[in-house]
Amino acid sequence: MADDKGKAVSWLPTAKVTVASILLALVVGALLIVVSDRKVVEAAGYFFDYPWDFFVFAGEAIWDSYRALAVGAAGSWNAVTQTLERAAPLICAGLGVSLAFRAGMFNIGAQGQLIVGAICAGYIGFTYDLPIVVHLLVAATAGIAGAAVWGGIAGLLKAQTGAHEVITTIMLNYVAVSLLLYLLTKDAFQREGSNNPRSEAAADTALFPEIFGFHAGVLVAFAVAFAVWWLLERSTLGFEMRAVGANADAARTAGMSVPKVYTLTMLVAGALAGLAAVQQILGHQDSLTANVAGAIGFDAITVALLGRATPLGTVLAGLLFGALASGGIQMQAGVGTPVSLTQVLQALIVLFVAAPALVRAVLRMRDTGGGATVMAKGWGS
Amino acid sequence: MELEIRGLTKRFGSFVANDDISLTIEPGEIHCLLGENGAGKSTLMNMLYGLLDPTSGEILLDGEPVHFTTPGDAINAGIGMVHQHFMLVPVFTVAENVMLGREQTRGLGMLDRGKAAELVRELSARYGLDVDPEAMVEDLPVGVQQRVEIIKALANEAQVLILDEPTAVLTPQEIDELMEIMRSLKEQGTSIVFITHKLREVKAIGDRITVIRRGKVVGTTAPGASEPELAEMMVGRAVKLQVEKPEPTVGEPVLDVRNMTVIDARGHTVVDDISFQARAGEVLGIAGVQGNGQTELIKSLMGLVKPDAGQILIDGKDVSKQGPRETLEQGIGYIPEDRSHDGYVGGFTVRENLVLDLYKHDEFSNGLALRLDAIADNARERIEEFDIRTEDMDSLVSSLSGGNQQKVVLAREFSRPLKLLIASQPTRGVDVGSIEFIHKRIIGERDRGTAVVIVSTELDEIYALSDRIAVMYAGRIVGTVTPDTPREEIGLMMAGASTEQEGSHRG
Amino acid sequence: MKKTARVAALVSIAALTLAGCGDRGETGATGNNTESASSTPSPTQSNPDFKACMVSDSGGFDDKSFNQTSHDGLEQAAQEFGIETAEIESQSDSEYADNINALVQQDCNIITTVGFLLGEATEAAAKKNPDVDFSIVDFAYEKAPENLKGLTFNTAEPSFLAGYLAAGMSESGVVGTFGGLPIPTVTIFMTGFAQGVDQYNTDNDADVQVIGWNPKTEEGSFTEDFEDKTKGQTIAENMIQQGADVIFPVAGPAGLGGLQAAQDNDAFGVWVDTDGCVSAAEYCDVLLTSVVKGMDVAVKDSIQASLEDTFSNEVYVGTLENEGVGIAPYHELEQEIPQELKDKVEELKQQIIDGEITVG
Repeated sequence: MADDKGKAVSWLPTAKVTVASILLALVVGALLIVVSDRKVVEAAGYFFDYPWDFFVFAGEAIWDSYRALAVGAAGSWNAVTQTLERAAPLICAGLGVSLAFRAGMFNIGAQGQLIVGAICAGYIGFTYDLPIVVHLLVAATAGIAGAAVWGGIAGLLKAQTGAHEVITTIMLNYVAVSLLLYLLTKDAFQREGSNNPRSEAAADTALFPEIFGFHAGVLVAFAVAFAVWWLLERSTLGFEMRAVGANADAARTAGMSVPKVYTLTMLVAGALAGLAAVQQILGHQDSLTANVAGAIGFDAITVALLGRATPLGTVLAGLLFGALASGGIQMQAGVGTPVSLTQVLQALIVLFVAAPALVRAVLRMRDTGGGATVMAKGWGS
Repeated sequence: MELEIRGLTKRFGSFVANDDISLTIEPGEIHCLLGENGAGKSTLMNMLYGLLDPTSGEILLDGEPVHFTTPGDAINAGIGMVHQHFMLVPVFTVAENVMLGREQTRGLGMLDRGKAAELVRELSARYGLDVDPEAMVEDLPVGVQQRVEIIKALANEAQVLILDEPTAVLTPQEIDELMEIMRSLKEQGTSIVFITHKLREVKAIGDRITVIRRGKVVGTTAPGASEPELAEMMVGRAVKLQVEKPEPTVGEPVLDVRNMTVIDARGHTVVDDISFQARAGEVLGIAGVQGNGQTELIKSLMGLVKPDAGQILIDGKDVSKQGPRETLEQGIGYIPEDRSHDGYVGGFTVRENLVLDLYKHDEFSNGLALRLDAIADNARERIEEFDIRTEDMDSLVSSLSGGNQQKVVLAREFSRPLKLLIASQPTRGVDVGSIEFIHKRIIGERDRGTAVVIVSTELDEIYALSDRIAVMYAGRIVGTVTPDTPREEIGLMMAGASTEQEGSHRG
Repeated sequence: MKKTARVAALVSIAALTLAGCGDRGETGATGNNTESASSTPSPTQSNPDFKACMVSDSGGFDDKSFNQTSHDGLEQAAQEFGIETAEIESQSDSEYADNINALVQQDCNIITTVGFLLGEATEAAAKKNPDVDFSIVDFAYEKAPENLKGLTFNTAEPSFLAGYLAAGMSESGVVGTFGGLPIPTVTIFMTGFAQGVDQYNTDNDADVQVIGWNPKTEEGSFTEDFEDKTKGQTIAENMIQQGADVIFPVAGPAGLGGLQAAQDNDAFGVWVDTDGCVSAAEYCDVLLTSVVKGMDVAVKDSIQASLEDTFSNEVYVGTLENEGVGIAPYHELEQEIPQELKDKVEELKQQIIDGEITVG
């Protein structure tokens, strides 16, 4: 009975909160830059003798760091391609998490799905000798299929036994990591004449072609984002996914097969994580190593949260994180600000987004309901 | 204690939930607060109980202004509240629940259960509540649980007791018992604010009746006012309380349930060897107190629960092994008892909810993609036809009033040709105006030759709609009677007392 | 997570500094607020035009292991030679090439990469940028480009000494070792250790057994994880139950669990990579010694060579002879180890340096 107008499309307040969160995170980040800069800290030591030094140095440190961050993220075409290549797997894996959110599931398993996808795609990529294009298609399909199965297991377990997907996906993450470590001790995965836990690099024929300085996987990521949007908003399956996510009982009563939706959703979510893995391993000549997935599968959760589990939001959040990652490297290389700062920024942004009341209080914004409702929904079982 | 409310106003943003409300609760009176769902009764009570902060206005106790910021303040001032949803810990005993929040300890921090039990016994005896302090709350019937809530309030020395829709969960017998208790409380000086939307009850128990509509006090009357008068005050226009219903033209049986049994997950037999028929062109009402197997019966008819024995025949074909999709496709319309739980997706728009079980039809999809235009056209038509009060078709259903939400469900289920309509609690939590509309549509559907099964715990509704009445008790149909059977008799059947009288009124 | 913790630590350090009363440095006093070469106090040389850079593997520079030790070498070089530095911590295996590339764009004169995982990326970058020197820790190429130097360490030699020492200190006649993963950089320690025990048995007609690694069959105990302390602890507890009273964990931070088990059960431990009495001081009371890889020395040397234009692509092998590897001082157990045994270890060390004993 409150004044909730309850309109489906209310992106403006959400966007405001998000932008405000990013700004706030940058402000906190600036404080961290100041206290982690040796010169500023020294100047603080004699603050009462030469107070001006402190502010000049602090200003310089903040300006230099953020400038390097911005330049590294988008200051040149090279920087843009770096940002895009880093964003692409985040977008794909993030879409997987978002899709599961929309169907009422909290998919913590993107990391495990990515790893299995990387194993499959990588194995085809470095083991077989296939003609160009065909090799890429086969390797990519294998990666996507492997990850889809990995995600599908969690979906099937939920559908058939009611096992909570948070538990099963976390456990499947462990299994995937162990599987990867195990395989990397096997001859079939190690390089010839080496005992190191590292595979051959994927063959040239299996790589994404490069266009405009970035690999074509980036374009695939954008295409897939559009496809996921279509799936959710325009297709009957997406209608079922959203209905199950918003109210599984009503969906069941309306004749939808909830177990089928759970299984299919996790299959597709896994496939999306698999696509991220494919970009990771077939984007450049990379080999399969213990850390091939980095933290993409976990960052994907943050990306999905920040993107409010919508395809467009996920793309934007993925681009932002990609920019922070590639800018962060230049920032560390050029100015020496630790790359950890970008991780702190990422964490802060999401923290602020998750606590919209805090952001509004700090920035004195009016409560227009741009809350984290999508997220809260995702939490339900 | 005299409780006075002076010019109390509560705004949520631009929405005025309570607008300049003033009323006085005299010591030892039963003051009924009558209004439709969403009229602002609960907002008012929540302000009295310290759960909401008034935008303006004041509350006075014996002429002294008071300000409550928490329920604790209200309790200390002598105000007690029994919520519609009980605030009891099911695995605690009655005494422990009463003790909760005001734990009495002996030395060394030992809880003094004995003292609490003593208090429960004493209050129970004084007001004729008949509650065993040692009983586990989860084992008690709903009516007794409610009395535990009352004891809790009394243990806190409440002088004004607020009862929020207390009769919604009770059987007719339990309602009578509650009214006895209310009278006994009143005689001993406790004032009672009785919130309800049921006209019969206010007339039976109220000393004074204040009617609230759209956040404003419409007027205060004596219980002598007639039901149509009260209804008109409540709704703002003249309301037909009786559905106009021509004689039914009964046809062949559409639904034939034979010896059906459902055993729930805990191994209890919740539907016990039930057989009945629903025939084309008639309304079969299933009366009974909530929790006597109606929910499971209906869910198994819809394929949501698989029966453990017996057959469900629709047009002679056994559907007991089918899932809900097949059942719906056969021309069964379904209005579930808990619409927000099963009937619609609150986070979906009106437009989407109107095709929630139709989206796969050729009209609305090509198998893969939705036909958005057709879905929008459908929404426009249904909103118009069923007079769904919504800003537009893209409003979320969760933002509509209960009556309009139910109309969405109804509109969807009526938008395809039906053989059988199963409606469970079709007007629960729905305003009087919408009840009238929904009842009319259901009878209209009957007259079109559809077999209709209505499940309701409200006897008024059963009487208003049914051509035959089956009464359920403990998972069985204890009898099937005609609507001219006296109320008391059906009440007794609902309590499981009588099966031998069924012969005289068999329909 | 630990990186976030480090930022938090910086905040608290800054707070402490603010509370204190510092002095304005000389560069500041001249009123010159533009960037100075280095804020470290008075380097012995000044080469502000030279820039040495480093890329970690995904373990990060705070891994208390080889990344950190290598980074120490960079810092020592900066201090000693008065050079500029730049560094990047890698977050995942897929970004090594990008990270090296980013440093090339920062006009680094030498780029040191840490860990075999960067082998390929480093080689590719070296070929693409012939004007930049590259060195890589823990990796060697069969045929390296002119500007790429592998920095490797024959850790079998000091492990041999540690094995001899362990066998000499064992009362039960059983010593245990375990690794993180069965990979060469790990098992080389274990093999040297086992050989040292063999040497002790031959010299003293003893029968000290090694459990956890068999150099002949190449089978042994591994945590399959370099991070999880509890796994190391479990394995070590098992070995102690089988009678082992010296534990030699070669599993990075996971090995700390082995030392914990030793400490809990009155057994001895031997640490690897760095001097355990410094990097894991809480276990110093049970540490016989540590097998130390002088990665800092090797890194500093390669930077110096690049600075002085004596850089070559010849693989650096740290040995006992060039002090690129060694065993740490005995610290708290100095008194408990018999002088005789210490002398014997010294003698063996000399024999290895002289080539009388071959290890590995």
